[in-house]
Amino acid sequence: MLLSQQLIAASEEASGTDLILPATSELIGGLIAFTIVGLIVWRFALPQIQKALDERQAAIVGKMQDAEQTKQAAEKLKSDYEAQIAGAKSEAAQIVEQARHQAETMKADIVARAQDEAAAIADRAKADIEAQRASVISGMRSEVASLSVDMAQKVVAGTVDRGAQQALVEQYLSELGGVNN
Amino acid sequence: MGELVAFECDTATDVVCQPPTVNELFELPTLFSIGDVEITRQIAYFFLATLVVAAILYFGLRKPKAVPGKFQLIVEELVAFVRDGIAKDIIGPEGTKYVPYLLSIFLFILVGNFFEITPFINYPITSRMAIPALLAIMTYLIFVFMGFRKNGLSYLTGIIWPKSVPVAMRPLVGIIEFFSTFAIRPLTLAVRLFANLVAGHVMLSLLLVTGFTYLFVQPFDFTFNPLWGVLWFLLGIAIFVFEMVVAFLQAYIFTLLSAVYIESSLHPEH
Repeated sequence: MLLSQQLIAASEEASGTDLILPATSELIGGLIAFTIVGLIVWRFALPQIQKALDERQAAIVGKMQDAEQTKQAAEKLKSDYEAQIAGAKSEAAQIVEQARHQAETMKADIVARAQDEAAAIADRAKADIEAQRASVISGMRSEVASLSVDMAQKVVAGTVDRGAQQALVEQYLSELGGVNN
Repeated sequence: MGELVAFECDTATDVVCQPPTVNELFELPTLFSIGDVEITRQIAYFFLATLVVAAILYFGLRKPKAVPGKFQLIVEELVAFVRDGIAKDIIGPEGTKYVPYLLSIFLFILVGNFFEITPFINYPITSRMAIPALLAIMTYLIFVFMGFRKNGLSYLTGIIWPKSVPVAMRPLVGIIEFFSTFAIRPLTLAVRLFANLVAGHVMLSLLLVTGFTYLFVQPFDFTFNPLWGVLWFLLGIAIFVFEMVVAFLQAYIFTLLSAVYIESSLHPEH
């Protein structure tokens, strides 16, 4: 091939318009290829993503509801426990109060009983003392009378008989007792 | 289809080699024909991109779970990036309606762009004008249609006779705005994506093929030096990383601008 022919051929080929102007077959091919992409995006990808988003939203909402329920249950449990504790506390206070009351009653009983007993003991003692006193006095009285009789016998030996003397002393002593009493 | 012309040169004779054109990098062999329509490898790549997008979405979302796995999370993040970061941020609450379209162009362009640096493909489908042009035309149709549907004829009059500028300026600004909206926008939208990916593909091809040539192919008449090959190759690798950023950025920009154009049609007073 001659050089000039070659150059002409080259310049024709290198015009660049081939590069810039799209070929019809490529336009059609490109249109079909892109349409398929568009359909996949429109009919498959975006609905699937929407589905994922919906699921995610449902999962999050569900979890939040679960958490809310758990929280409510926990709060109920807490208030139950608090009520139980408060009940136990008041019961304990009641028990303590009862015990105190019982103790007070027992104390009062014991004191009263002790006082009664003491009083009884004192009374008994007093009665014993009185009895003893009475017996001592009567003992003494007869002793004194006997002594006086003995004494008077010694003083007026033989003048007065023993029976008369005894009567005389008895009289004297009863007079003396009337004065003492 | 041209063969790799450089290899046809007879270096023994003094014939000037026919230089390969830039088209060499973008024309791939025809795989088969349906009637007169040649199904080239590019077209197969278009459908491969569709397949990749479909696979990503399918495996990411086939069994969506309330507590997502890693892959589902990545796909959800991608969707959220377009839905919240582009559609809702730019267009507002009405933006939700445009999420299917915006997400489709974002994923299609993203995967198409990443083909540039995908081993064994190494060919961005967005470097064929068909794809950027097609998507730009779609964006154009959507924003023009929505502009008229939402605002009636005042959409057009608002552009031609902009009330927000002084009366004396209105004819000039009106003409500029009219051409900007109805002619420049779709063109720039398409060309920006196309040119970026063409440039990236050319750059990568040149660097890596040059590196390969220096390293493994016998030179014509310059001193063979493997060091040059290594340097070219390293530079190619650096650009490779750079192109990853470009691939993402261009998909983002195209989607973002589509949203911006739709928004400006819905609320032309802004």
